[in-house]
Amino acid sequence: MEILRSGLLQRALLEVLILGATCGALGVWLLHVRSTYAAESLAHAMLPGLVIAALVGAPLLLGAAGGVLVAAGLIALAARDTRVGAEVAVGVVVTTAFGLGAVLALAPDVPARLGELLFGDLLGTSTADLAAAAGLGLLVAFALGAGHRSLTTAVFDPVAAPSLGVQPGRVQLALLALLGVAVVAAVQGLGNLLVLALIVAPASAGIRLGATLRGQIAAAATLGALAGLLGLVASAELDIAAGASVALAAIALHVVAVLLRPAAPRTPGERRSPVDALSP
Amino acid sequence: MSAAAIEVAGVSAGYGNGAIALSDVSFKATEGQAVAVLGPNGGGKTTLFRALLGELPTATGSITVSGTPAYVPQTERSRLDFPVSALDVALMGAYARTSWYRRIAGRDRALARGALERVGLADSAGTRFGSLSGGQRQRVLIARALVQDAGVLLLDEPFAGVDRTSEDAIMGILDELRAEGRVLLIATHDVEQARGWDRVLCLAGKQIAYGPPATTLTNAVLEGTYGEEIVMLDCGHRAVAIQHHAHTH
Amino acid sequence: MRWLTDPLALPFMQRALLATLLLAVAAGLLGTWIVLRRLAFFAHAAGTATFPGLVVAGPWGLAPPLAALGAGLGFAGLLARMTRRGATSADAATGLLLTAALALGAILASDVYSSGAGVDRLLFGTLLGLGEGDVALAAAAAVAAVAATAALGRTWLATGFDPAGAAALGVRAARGDWLLLALLAVTVVAVLPAVGALLVSTLLVVPAATARLLTQSLGALLAAAVTLAALEGVGGLLLAYHLDLPPGPAIAVLGGGGFALAAVSCTVRGAR
Repeated sequence: MEILRSGLLQRALLEVLILGATCGALGVWLLHVRSTYAAESLAHAMLPGLVIAALVGAPLLLGAAGGVLVAAGLIALAARDTRVGAEVAVGVVVTTAFGLGAVLALAPDVPARLGELLFGDLLGTSTADLAAAAGLGLLVAFALGAGHRSLTTAVFDPVAAPSLGVQPGRVQLALLALLGVAVVAAVQGLGNLLVLALIVAPASAGIRLGATLRGQIAAAATLGALAGLLGLVASAELDIAAGASVALAAIALHVVAVLLRPAAPRTPGERRSPVDALSP
Repeated sequence: MSAAAIEVAGVSAGYGNGAIALSDVSFKATEGQAVAVLGPNGGGKTTLFRALLGELPTATGSITVSGTPAYVPQTERSRLDFPVSALDVALMGAYARTSWYRRIAGRDRALARGALERVGLADSAGTRFGSLSGGQRQRVLIARALVQDAGVLLLDEPFAGVDRTSEDAIMGILDELRAEGRVLLIATHDVEQARGWDRVLCLAGKQIAYGPPATTLTNAVLEGTYGEEIVMLDCGHRAVAIQHHAHTH
Repeated sequence: MRWLTDPLALPFMQRALLATLLLAVAAGLLGTWIVLRRLAFFAHAAGTATFPGLVVAGPWGLAPPLAALGAGLGFAGLLARMTRRGATSADAATGLLLTAALALGAILASDVYSSGAGVDRLLFGTLLGLGEGDVALAAAAAVAAVAATAALGRTWLATGFDPAGAAALGVRAARGDWLLLALLAVTVVAVLPAVGALLVSTLLVVPAATARLLTQSLGALLAAAVTLAALEGVGGLLLAYHLDLPPGPAIAVLGGGGFALAAVSCTVRGAR
C-alpha cells in the first residue's frame, strides 16, 4: 500500500474510516425512521454557516455547528405549519439557506472556496480535524449504544412506546441532534453535498444484508468504513477528487449489496399511483 | 397479583386546542373484571385509553389506576419492516424497568420467553415480527404486556383481523389474566362478543352506559351509542354493528 | 427607478426577463401540483441529478437541455426501478441517486473535463448565458403547463386528495400521474439555465409553498404561485445584476424572505 506512506493520506484515511463507521451506524436508524430528506436538508442548509466561517477564517467545524443549529431550528419552525407539510417546509428552508450560502460565497472579493465547501477537502484533514471527528464519532457511537432500546421501541411501535416508558418525540429529536453532530463531523472531509452518501448508502446496504437490527448496524458501519478505504485508494490511484470518490465507493458497495441480496417482491395487492410511489 | 382496580370519576378529556373529545365518563372496574369498550369510530375509545395511560391531561374528573397500565395496540400500527424478532418485542415490556446502562436482567429474559410460551409462540421467538401472521403478531404484543406485568391492560381491538386459532388463543389468555385478578379494558366493535365480558362501557363522545352486558346492551343504549345509522344484522348468532360512513368527498 | 430600468435596456437582461416570466408561469403552475402532491424532494433531486449531464454536455458537444433531460430521465428511471421492488424506500433511493449524481458530476467536472469556474454556473445559474433556445424552451414549458393544468387539473386534484379512490378510477389516474412527472422533467430542464441544478426548488417549490400559506382555493393558489414566482424571479434577476451574483441564489434568498413574511403574517392573523 504505497499511498499509506504519506502523512496526508494517513490522516485522510483515518478520518474517512471514522466517518464511514459513524455515519453508517447512524444511517440505519435514520433510514428506519425515513429521515433521508432531513439528513440531506440539514447537510445542505448549513452552507451559510460554512461560508461565514470560511470568510472570517474561523474553523469550519464551528461554522458547520452554527449552520446546523440554525438550519435545524428553521426546519422545525417551518415544519410546524400543517398546511404545507414537513416535506415542503424542509424544501423551502434548504433552498433559501443554500441560496444565501451561495450569495455570500459568490459575492466578489471573496476567496473562492465554495467548491471545497460543497464537495469537501478530505486530503486537507489536519490533526485537529481528525481529533474532532474522532471525538464526535465516539459521541455518536456512545449515544446510539446507550439509546438502543429507546430507539428500538420508539421506531417500532410509537403508539405504545409511552406506555413502555419511552417518549417517541424526544427520541426523534435526539436522533436528529445526532445527525447534526455527524454532519458537522463529516462536512470537512466530504463537503456539504456529499455527506449524505455516507449516511444513506452504507445504511441502505446494511439493512439489506443484516437480519437483525444489530446485524444491520454492524454491516452498515463496516461498509461505511470500507467505502472510505476504497474511495480513498481509488482517489489516489486514479487521481480524482477524494470526497466524490468516497461517495461513489459507498454507492458502488450499495449496488453490490443489492445484487447479492435482491429484494423480496412487494406484497401483491398494494399498488400506488406513480406520483405517490415517489413522495415520502 | 395484588388487587388491581381502575376508577374513573367524571372525566372529560380532549386534545390541545381545547376541544373535548370525550366527557362525563365514570366507571369502576375491580379485580378480575373484563370491560368491553364499545363505540363508533371517533366515539372516544382512543381518547379514553390515552387518558388512562396519562398521555392526555384530563379536563375534569379523576382517574385512579393501580400501577401503570399496559397498552396493547393494533398490530398494523407497528412497523412490519423493522428487524425485530418476536422475542425482541416481548423484551420491550422490560425496558421501562431497565436502566439504559444495564443489560436486560436474566429474570426478565426468562419472563419474556415464558410470556411467548403462554401465548403459544415459544417456537417463533426468533422469527421476525413482520413475517408473523396478524393474529400471531397480536399475541406477541399481548406477551409484551405480560412482561410489563401490569395490573391493568388496555387492548385496542385485539380481535381485529385475527385468524381463528389466534382468536381462541387470545381468548384463552385473556381469561387467564382475568383469573389472575387483572383488569382488562377491551376496545371492540363486536357487540355480540361484548356480551361475553363482565362489563360494557358504551361511548359516543360521552358515556352512554356502563354495567353488566345483560342489562346494559339494550336497543336504546346501542342506538344512543351508534346513532340512527346503526344497522343490526343478524348473521347466524352474531349481531354486528355496521356503521354507515359519511361520505364527505 | 434607474435601478430598475437601466438593466432592462440591455439585450441579455431583456432576454433573461422574458425567460424568467415564462418560467414563472410554468414553475408556478407545476409548483402548485408539486406542493399538493408532496413531490418537493423529488423535484429537488431531479434538478440536482441533471448536474453530471450538464457537465458532459459541453465536452461531448450535446445541447445542454438534452443532456440535462437525459440525466434527469436516467435518475427517474433508476428511482422507479429501485423503489418498484419495494425494498428501498423512495426517500432513501432518492437520496442515494442524488448524491451519486453529485459525486459523479464533481469528478467529471474537476478531474475529467476540468470545467473549473463553469461549475458554479451549472450549479447556481447564469444571467449572461441565457440564449434564444432557453427562452424558447421556457415558452414551451409555460404553454405545456397551462394546457396540462387546464386539461388534467381535475384528475391531479382527485388523485392527490384520495389516492385509494383515484386508484379505483384506474388507468386515467396513472396516466395523469405519468404526465405530471413528464411535465415536471421538462420544467426542471427549462428552469436549469436560470437558477442552476442545485436551486430548481427556488422556482418550482418555494413560490407555491408560500402561496399555500396565503390562500386555500385551488384557483387562487395557482394564480398566487405564478405571481410570486414572477415577482421573486424578476426581483432576483435585478438583485443578481446589481450585486454581480448568479440569479439562482438571489431568487432563493428573496423566495425564502417571502415565505418567512407569509408565515409570520399567517401567525399574526391566526393569533388575532
